[in-house]
Parts: sequence; C-alpha cells; structure tokens
Amino acid sequence: MGMWPFGHHDPSRASMGRVLIVDDEENIRRVARLTLTKAGYEVIEGKDGADAIEALNSGENPLLVDVIICDIRMPKINGVEAISYFRSQYPSVPIIVQTGFPDLNLATSLMKQGVSDYLVKPVENEKLIAAVAKAVEGREMFTT
Amino acid sequence: MGPEQSIHIAILGGGRGGTALIELFTRCHGIAITGIADTNPDAPGLRLARNLNIPATDDPVSLVSDMTVDLIVDVTGNPSMPALIERHKSARAEFLGGTAAKLVWSLIQDERDLYEHLAHAEKLSTLGTFAAGIAHEFNNPLHMMLGFAQLIQDTQDPASVQEYIQEIVKQIKHLSNMSTSVNLYARTSAQGELVPVQIPKLLDEAVRMAKFSTILDEVTVIPHYEPVPDIQAEPGELLQVFMNLIVNAVQAMNARGRLTLRTCMENGSITVSVEDTGPGIAPQDLAKIFAPFFTTKKTGKGTGLGLYIVDTIIRKYGGRIEPRSEVGKGTAFRIHFPVAGLPQQTVPSSHPATPASI
Repeated sequence: MGMWPFGHHDPSRASMGRVLIVDDEENIRRVARLTLTKAGYEVIEGKDGADAIEALNSGENPLLVDVIICDIRMPKINGVEAISYFRSQYPSVPIIVQTGFPDLNLATSLMKQGVSDYLVKPVENEKLIAAVAKAVEGREMFTT
Repeated sequence: MGPEQSIHIAILGGGRGGTALIELFTRCHGIAITGIADTNPDAPGLRLARNLNIPATDDPVSLVSDMTVDLIVDVTGNPSMPALIERHKSARAEFLGGTAAKLVWSLIQDERDLYEHLAHAEKLSTLGTFAAGIAHEFNNPLHMMLGFAQLIQDTQDPASVQEYIQEIVKQIKHLSNMSTSVNLYARTSAQGELVPVQIPKLLDEAVRMAKFSTILDEVTVIPHYEPVPDIQAEPGELLQVFMNLIVNAVQAMNARGRLTLRTCMENGSITVSVEDTGPGIAPQDLAKIFAPFFTTKKTGKGTGLGLYIVDTIIRKYGGRIEPRSEVGKGTAFRIHFPVAGLPQQTVPSSHPATPASI
C-alpha cells in the first residue's frame, strides 16, 4: 500500500474520501465544494492545472487524494495537459472530467487515457456525487 | 495614389442607386465624391452622405455646375435630367447616364452581393471557431445556476439561500449579456440600420466576445477611453471589426501580454486603437495584410479575409485604418473615423480615406 503515492482514504480520516476539484471558475469550485462536503467528502481546490499540481506537491509528501475532478479549458496548464500529468504521476487516482465542451472526440480520447467519467456542464449535484462515489468505489476495488 | 490624382464624381439620385454608388466609391482608392443631389432632401443616399461628411444637396444644378467635377453619374431615372446636365455641366466634365449608368449600377450590385457573401462566409468561419467557446461560456454559468439552485433545495439556512440566489441572479445577467452580444454579431449586415454607436461600449463588448474564440486570462486588457462622439453605424459591423482586431492581437501574443484599447480625438477625427505586445508584423507583410486571402496563419486556421473585411467596413463609414508594427515590440492598428457634421481635416497618408471634398 505504501507504494501508492496517493493512498486510498483510510478509515481514521473519517471522511468518504478526498476530492481535488480543478476549475478556473471560483463559483464552480464552490458549488462542488459545498455539494461534496455535504455528501461527506473532503474537498481541496486548484484554479488551473499549474495551481492543482502545486497544491498536490506543496507539502513534504504528495497530498493524498482519492478523486480528481478536472475542467478542460483553463489558463496556464489546460485540462488535457493536467490530466496527462495526473495520469503519469498518480496512475491510480481516478479522474472525472467536468467540462463545458460537449466534445465527443475529446471525450473518447480522454476515456482511452483512463479518465473514468466525462461530465458535460451543467451537471446536477446528485450526478456529481454519484460520479465521485463510483470513482472512489472503483478505486477501492482496484487497490484491495 | 494621392488625392490629387483622384477622379471627382458627382452623383445624381439618392435612391438605392445613389446609395450603392456612395458605398462603392468610398471603398475605392482614387475616387472622391464631390457630392450627391436628390430633390428629396430625405432620400437615403443623402442621409448616408451626411453621415460620411459628403456634401448632400437637393439642388442638382449647383452640384452639376461644380467646376472640379470630372464625372457626373445620373441614376435618377428622370428623363429630363440629361438635358439639364448638358446645360449646366462644365465643358470637361463627362456624363454617365441612361443605360450606361444602369449597367454600372447592376455591376455594383453584383459586386456588393459578392462582398456580402464574402463577409458572411468570414463571419461563419469565425462563428465555427466560436462554437466550442460559446458552449464553454454558456455552460459554465448554467452549471453554477443549477448547482446553487440545488443547494438552495437542500439548505435550511436563510443567509445561505440569499447568497446562492444572488449568485444565480448574477449568472443570469451574465448569460443575458452574452446572448445579446452573440445576437448582435450573428445578425447579417444586409438588414442593418445605422444607429448611434458608443465606441468604448462596443470595444468592451468585443473583448467579451473574443473570449469565445481565444483565452484571455493571461492577457491584461488596458482600456484608455477618452470621450469621443458616437458614430452612425451598424453595431454588428463595427463589432466584427473590433473583435477581429482583438482576436488577431491576442493570437499574435500567443494569449500572453498586454492588449491596449484606446479611443480619443485626433486631428478632428475619432481615433480607435488596438495595440498588442506581440512579435510584430514583418515589414514585407505589412503592405499585404489588408489584401483578401492574405494570411500568415497555418492552412485551415485563417481565411485571410479578416483584415480585408475590417478595411472594407471601415471605408464604408468613411474611415481608414493604419497598421504600425515594430518587430519584437508589437503592433498597433489605428482607426480614424470622421465625425458626422464636421469637415474632415486632410491627413497625409499612404492609405487615403474619402478625400475631403472641395
């Protein structure tokens, strides 16, 4: 287990899991934070790809997260670049794309890269919670 | 070609023919319109002429007898007009009327249709690149509205409810502004009416619209708006001009740098300037940028029609555009528009506008 840079959540953390939301719109992060916190998750935020990567690597040890929710169109490091970085650095952490682009080709190519879900905004809060729960569940099946 | 070599033309008839002639001649280098006459002082051609500071009169005789006129074009359709012209015109002035004038008019209409198609094609091609950006810009506010609405359903706290409602209202206003901008842009120019346009407001609108086709997050937009009079124009056309220049500027800077937008009065004309801190335009390209189908963008990335249409629209309003570029420093596009009702001062330029009439 110690091999995984991102451990799956341990019971002592008393949360359903830790979610990183990456989106350049503050209110979109806020909706996700309020919704997922209410559903029992711990939420950390990144305002673009660069900011998210920094958030993960700022401490002495890489921060442990169970799911990453990532937008596509963002300044600095965009979603596609950020996702390829997450996949290479933290291959066991499921990624959910949440984007305003209803782009079938992009969705297909991202799914091929191992993205677990592709949600097109506007996304209902329930749907986001379900997608996160499914991703965390899949991860637990994978790591145990 | 300098103004001294210009052909000076008098137009008789302010109906559709006269209007089309004004629109064409103001776009052409080397043609100066001495004036337009129609016995109806409210004829559309006369109204257009007044907006462009072209002398407009309801007395054909005074115009025809102007000694500086090289060519008189009669599109009145009035059978007694040729005799009147012969009586009053100067000896050197040539006269185009009857079937010949009709032929010219139909050629002009044909040219105008062709231009409308080109302008529309360019607009559609830009709209195509917008599609993804528009989806993004609309779906984000919708996402927030849906999110906050569902949070309201689940919360008991009145303060939170108030706060979420405020966010939703803010997003609705934002969406409504965007939809207005898109409508303004997408309208075809043929149906447009001339209305007073506040240039600074339209520049801000163009920046909002530019977000559909390019990411502006790392571009610092610096507005320097000095008060300028409104200009009589079709807002959609000027929006196309400003957006085109802004998107070009942002693309030239690789979406990183400073975009300065200015309005001011200069030598009696309304001046609008769009400046970037990009790599600049090579001197050998600078002369060609307004030519149709000229592009330095990769195949499939640009139509090469953008700046051609920008130039054409600006000329239609009696204005002119000047690029200034320094390789390594950036590019500035300066547009000069005449102030309606004020005589234009002649500004020496290699890119002459409708020269002031005498």
